[in-house]
Amino acid sequence: MKKTFFAIVVIVLFSSHTMFLKLDSYFLEPNSSVALQLFNGTFEKSENIIARNRMLDASILSNGIRTKVSDSQWTEKDSITILNFQTEDAGTYVAGVSTKARDFKMNAKVFNEYLEHEGLYDMLEWRRQNNALDSNAIEKYSKHVKTIFQVGAIKTNDWQTELGYPIEFVPLENPYNLHTGDSLELKLLLNGKPLANQLVYADYKNPKNSHSHNALKAAEEHGHSHDGEVNSHTHESKESEESHTHTSGQKLRTNEEGIIKTHLFADGIWYFQTIHIVNTQKEELTHESNWSTLTFEVTHTHGEETHTHEHQHETNNSIYIFLLGSLLLIGVLFLWFNRRKNENKN
Amino acid sequence: MKIKTKRKILNTLFLLFPLILAAHGVSSSDQEILNNGGLLSYIYVGAKHMITGYDHLLFLAGVIFYLKGFKDILRFITVFTIGHSITLLGATYLGIKANDHLIDAIIALSVLYKGFENLGGFEKYLKIKSPNLLLMVFIFGLIHGFGLSTRLQSFDMGTAQFLAKIVSFNIGVELGQILALIPIVFIITLWKTKKSYTAFYKAINMYLIIAGLGLFLYQLYGFLNGH
Repeated sequence: MKKTFFAIVVIVLFSSHTMFLKLDSYFLEPNSSVALQLFNGTFEKSENIIARNRMLDASILSNGIRTKVSDSQWTEKDSITILNFQTEDAGTYVAGVSTKARDFKMNAKVFNEYLEHEGLYDMLEWRRQNNALDSNAIEKYSKHVKTIFQVGAIKTNDWQTELGYPIEFVPLENPYNLHTGDSLELKLLLNGKPLANQLVYADYKNPKNSHSHNALKAAEEHGHSHDGEVNSHTHESKESEESHTHTSGQKLRTNEEGIIKTHLFADGIWYFQTIHIVNTQKEELTHESNWSTLTFEVTHTHGEETHTHEHQHETNNSIYIFLLGSLLLIGVLFLWFNRRKNENKN
Repeated sequence: MKIKTKRKILNTLFLLFPLILAAHGVSSSDQEILNNGGLLSYIYVGAKHMITGYDHLLFLAGVIFYLKGFKDILRFITVFTIGHSITLLGATYLGIKANDHLIDAIIALSVLYKGFENLGGFEKYLKIKSPNLLLMVFIFGLIHGFGLSTRLQSFDMGTAQFLAKIVSFNIGVELGQILALIPIVFIITLWKTKKSYTAFYKAINMYLIIAGLGLFLYQLYGFLNGH
């Protein structure tokens, strides 16, 4: 019995993968190389790579020009799919990836657990009220993710451009005009129209603490399959289970205009996620869902350490000051000791 | 006003000792190199870290000053290498890491220690004999290795070829150490023949004390202020 329960929990925990576009730093320099990471799993850990033929769209929007990403720009590392590209002129950039729809078949119990786990409480409630908790499900799902990052110091308006994905977040102001402590409004669009009364989860991660890797844990990895991709995952610890709670952070609900307002109370990479799921009468399906995430970084003041470009220049200048200061100090000390030696001789 | 002035002084100090940021910070360009370059990239980043990791080099310069002859240098450098390899490999593999600032503060103290010892500080001021240098170099080697490990763990290494990546980084560290030591040994050896060597010896070791203290305070400031 315990084994069965555990198996169900494991299936539920690992059967749903949220997708995110992530950067090590969201403040980049113009004309620099960038490795944009596509995570499929949790915000903390990617569980599997995404095959190129699964992507309906992958594009970068900057200075009013939308550039399609070519297959050759993608590489893979472990379970992370990496988009390599060069930034160009300064501006606020947007990158997006949209995937093809797939079907996922679940028995009733697993489906209920999955709804609970993903925070899809509206659908779970609907099933309760309509005595549908015992119904198995075949869900058609697709994922559409965006990230907004700042290149150089010039702010441009691409952050407000819709990529035309089935579901997408569009901020109502440039996140890079904001600082920690400010509030931001985001509009959620479904097929280009505001999506009202939709649950959205907002959370953040301080980039300083975002790396985690443990060889021992890695050694205990086991494999499983999902999304038709071969992948592996570690789930031996409480930490691991916690990292699979896809619904941490602020729980928000869009208003009638499809808008949520969130308080960006901490420095870090902010990520917003939502899953819009509906019942469907389409052939061989019971449900249809569209998943969306958006990421960007917020800092307390501009020009400090998260501002890589400015910080780098400051650091380079400081290196020279330090080296020159060191040489000067050694020189002064040398002259002083040399003089003392000569005085002692005399 | 006084608080503001103090803050200005601290910020100036912060600016005067920033090399640690360049030498030790996890730069996105290094991360990118590691993402795309395979095991060779770990060798490269390891070597780069050692060459630009001036606190390791300052300590080694201090050790070399004290030694006589190539054999002695080889013996002490080997012990330092064994020491830092143990903690670099072990701590990284086991996922043990320290606070960046605290470990770097201890490494800074090792620089101060070596300058103080070289100037005969133990005998002159503490009226005790200097601790066994070989043992101290081994202990400091372990500490420096832990610092290197903490830095390596700041990178997103992934899980594939995990041990091979650590070993590659360690190989890079050793290569970088050799490259950096060549000019240091050359300058010290060359100066030994000059009349001004005593003044040079004292100046460098006094600098090690000042730099070690400065770096220690800088790291402490960073730790307390979350930089």
